[in-house]
Amino acid sequence: MTLIRTMGVVVALGVWGLALPVGRARTASAAGAAIPGFTHVKTLDGIEEYTLDSNGLDVLVVPDHTAPVVSFNVTYRVGSRNEVTGTTGATHILEHLMFKGSTAFNDPKGNSIKQYLERVGGGYNAETSLDYTKYYATVGVEGLDGYVAIEADRMRGLWLREADRQSEMTVVRNEFERDNNSPDYVLYGEVTAAAYQALPYHHSTIGWKSDIECVPINKLKAFYDTYYWPNNATVTFVGDIDLGKALALVNKYYGGYKRSPTAIPALYTEEPDQTGARRVIVKRPGELGSVMIVHKVPNALHADHAALAVLDGILGAGKNSRLYGALVDKGLALDANTSTDGRHDLSLHAMSASLAPGVTHATVEAALLAEVEKVKVTGVTAEEVARVQRQTLADQSYKRDGTSGIASELSAWIAVGDWTLYESFPERIAMVTPADVQRVAQAYLNEDQSTTGWFVPVAAK
Amino acid sequence: MMTMRALLALVALVSTPALATTHIAEHVTRARIVGIDVIAYPTSVQNVVTIVGVLPAGDAVVGSGNITLPTLTGMMLERGTTTQDQFAIARKLESVGARVAFSTGPQMLNIQARTLKENLPLVVGLIAEQLRAPAFEAEEFDKAKQQFEGWIEQSTVNTDYRAEEAFSRLAYPTGHLNRKYTVDAYRAALKNVTLEDVKAYHHAHYGPASMILVLVGDVDVTQGRAEIERAFAGWTGGGSIGSLSAPATLRAGNTNLVRLAGKTSVSVLLGAPTGLKYRDPDALALRVGTAIFGSGFTGRLMSHVRDRDGLTYHIGAGLSEDTFSDGSWRVDASFAPQLLEKGLASTRHEVQLWWSQGVTEKELAARKQGLIGNYHVSLATTGGMAGALLQAVERGYEISWLDEYPEAINALTVAQVNAAIKRHLDPEKLVLIEAGTVP
Repeated sequence: MTLIRTMGVVVALGVWGLALPVGRARTASAAGAAIPGFTHVKTLDGIEEYTLDSNGLDVLVVPDHTAPVVSFNVTYRVGSRNEVTGTTGATHILEHLMFKGSTAFNDPKGNSIKQYLERVGGGYNAETSLDYTKYYATVGVEGLDGYVAIEADRMRGLWLREADRQSEMTVVRNEFERDNNSPDYVLYGEVTAAAYQALPYHHSTIGWKSDIECVPINKLKAFYDTYYWPNNATVTFVGDIDLGKALALVNKYYGGYKRSPTAIPALYTEEPDQTGARRVIVKRPGELGSVMIVHKVPNALHADHAALAVLDGILGAGKNSRLYGALVDKGLALDANTSTDGRHDLSLHAMSASLAPGVTHATVEAALLAEVEKVKVTGVTAEEVARVQRQTLADQSYKRDGTSGIASELSAWIAVGDWTLYESFPERIAMVTPADVQRVAQAYLNEDQSTTGWFVPVAAK
Repeated sequence: MMTMRALLALVALVSTPALATTHIAEHVTRARIVGIDVIAYPTSVQNVVTIVGVLPAGDAVVGSGNITLPTLTGMMLERGTTTQDQFAIARKLESVGARVAFSTGPQMLNIQARTLKENLPLVVGLIAEQLRAPAFEAEEFDKAKQQFEGWIEQSTVNTDYRAEEAFSRLAYPTGHLNRKYTVDAYRAALKNVTLEDVKAYHHAHYGPASMILVLVGDVDVTQGRAEIERAFAGWTGGGSIGSLSAPATLRAGNTNLVRLAGKTSVSVLLGAPTGLKYRDPDALALRVGTAIFGSGFTGRLMSHVRDRDGLTYHIGAGLSEDTFSDGSWRVDASFAPQLLEKGLASTRHEVQLWWSQGVTEKELAARKQGLIGNYHVSLATTGGMAGALLQAVERGYEISWLDEYPEAINALTVAQVNAAIKRHLDPEKLVLIEAGTVP
């Protein structure tokens, strides 16, 4: 299940493991090198954070000289959570329009972002999610300056033209249509819509089809002029670059911008308490059914997320997970998964399973809930917790194989409000106890907080 | 049916070394260890080792046997060995955060693993044990069959899968390595397959002959070789890649409609067999010409059919399935049912223009630079490097080809590219597949 929309296409680079040693000593510092025009915010395990004084742009620099490449990533703190009825999907459409040209870099000049990056080579793309929009590329060191210049130009100099909206609308609509070919994608959308009533997480990041088709260009312009400002963004450098060079590039290309003229609007909507179980059923042509059960959990910054992550590992990761044993190994399901979406606001824990041929929805739903009940009543073992903790530790090395993986994970934490969780979340996981896991299961995985969805295949007409 | 080929295809055109952007071969060690072609490439990455490998036990080697055997045998590798069950193996791997996976592709059984350096002996040992001595328990075999049945049913309603299946059956003749079996054929074969068949298939096709293992990352080459020698000592047998070839044919154009109900987007494939293997003369020229036509946002298809006309989210063109036999050239796209006709017309128009007028000097110059730049960037991870090394060897190159690749790209001329396009493609002989809820 994915919450992320992308521009699609482009060159995908393998993101597999390199880089930082596991278990290294933790270092944090409040004092960093004095760089004129910038204010040092913090230094954590070699990651430097500064803000550009002239406009509040946040900058992270992660030197990694393993290979002569640099990943540069611009994360805007705006996602589909910032949309309302009539503009659902606007964040994502805007992301597409960000590739249509800007004042200094565009197709007629022969130096647009796609022309530039496909000439110098490397991977690039953009992603829109519930909580953020990000633009990124991994390029050889010699190609970095030109890419930063383009990103800076389109932060405030984007072309937003009705003709581009019209042609891109059908592109985005086809993206919507492609996603909706998958019954499981449709099921997740309907379960989410039922789980959230007030929060904008109610609608998917790609938006409702009618909004995709009809949102006017002036609303997209207003959206851009509200959220695309340096004081609503973090730029991240990971790779073969040092702090001084990175900040010099930032000053060169972003230094001329002012802060947003008004404060970036805060989302003040809160989800009302859920007071009973909710259910949805999706019927479409297909061959095999599926079941999904979600529960409300706190936002990503909450201390219980580490215990929820360990719970997910015990329930759903690998052949020794409880769901594999109870569902897959017993022939009830083809697969069974759990995950916790760490979101800026109220988040979701999800369990799902694809029904094995001949097995009923009720049987699989009961089996999923029985495993949750076992955790709530009898808890989990220390060995199970340790297994997940060891996997997490190894994953920290794997994730850092390559600069783009580091940049991507950092941006996910930036979006929920605290990039330092990139370093501290694994430490939080290392502190989780069996009692913590049982407690979060008891606290959050309750029937009254649940939304259950069935995909029921029907015969084709 | 199961493949990790797609993953390796992400680094298809090539990938580059972490420390040096040239002279890869100087840092590679390659030797035959207990019959296995072992390639090792140490990088400066700390603590992480990526392993990829293959042996010829994919779908194509089944010949006249039951077509479910390659996949079922591959599945049984992960269901316990003669000395320990699958859960004990999983516990050992999970306790150190290591991963080992097997998957069956069109030609090869694929091996993929990742581990921290200190656990390399454990991981190599488990790869060997699972390959050499699967338990083949009847109960696990029944579960594997049920899982396979589920995958077949899911594939039956997947527009992309069904388009691929239909394309291969129109583009390639019976007996060709790239011709896929239908979901109905898999369904029927699954009813008849037995555990004894699987054991016999394993005995006939699994062994070190033609097996390749690639280790990249924080690798001590001497230690790695010793572990492989210890773990695989005494293993014999296996098939050969050379015996897999089948004749190529360029067929006349044809159209096939795969009707699937309740779909909101139509998967489209438009293409033809090229008659070319990856390393054949002309293949690189056609590949680069095709990149100009259908790769990235600056490719003509994306620029015109998506950006200008707004007719699709996804469209691209490429060469594929040409590692072990002659492959195909194809446009891959999706269209809304109501825009299908317009989308196809726009796509065919672009194909005709590209074929008849060729590419320009300016396009070729820009694409050369981009391909080489991307090549270097993509080799900066252990996975990218391991995939590139494996693919180079599978394609029959020496490792030094990875160093020569940028120069080969640079040496291409517009005349060579345009001649290759004309020589190996004909817009009048394209196969068209539409899979979905077609109006």
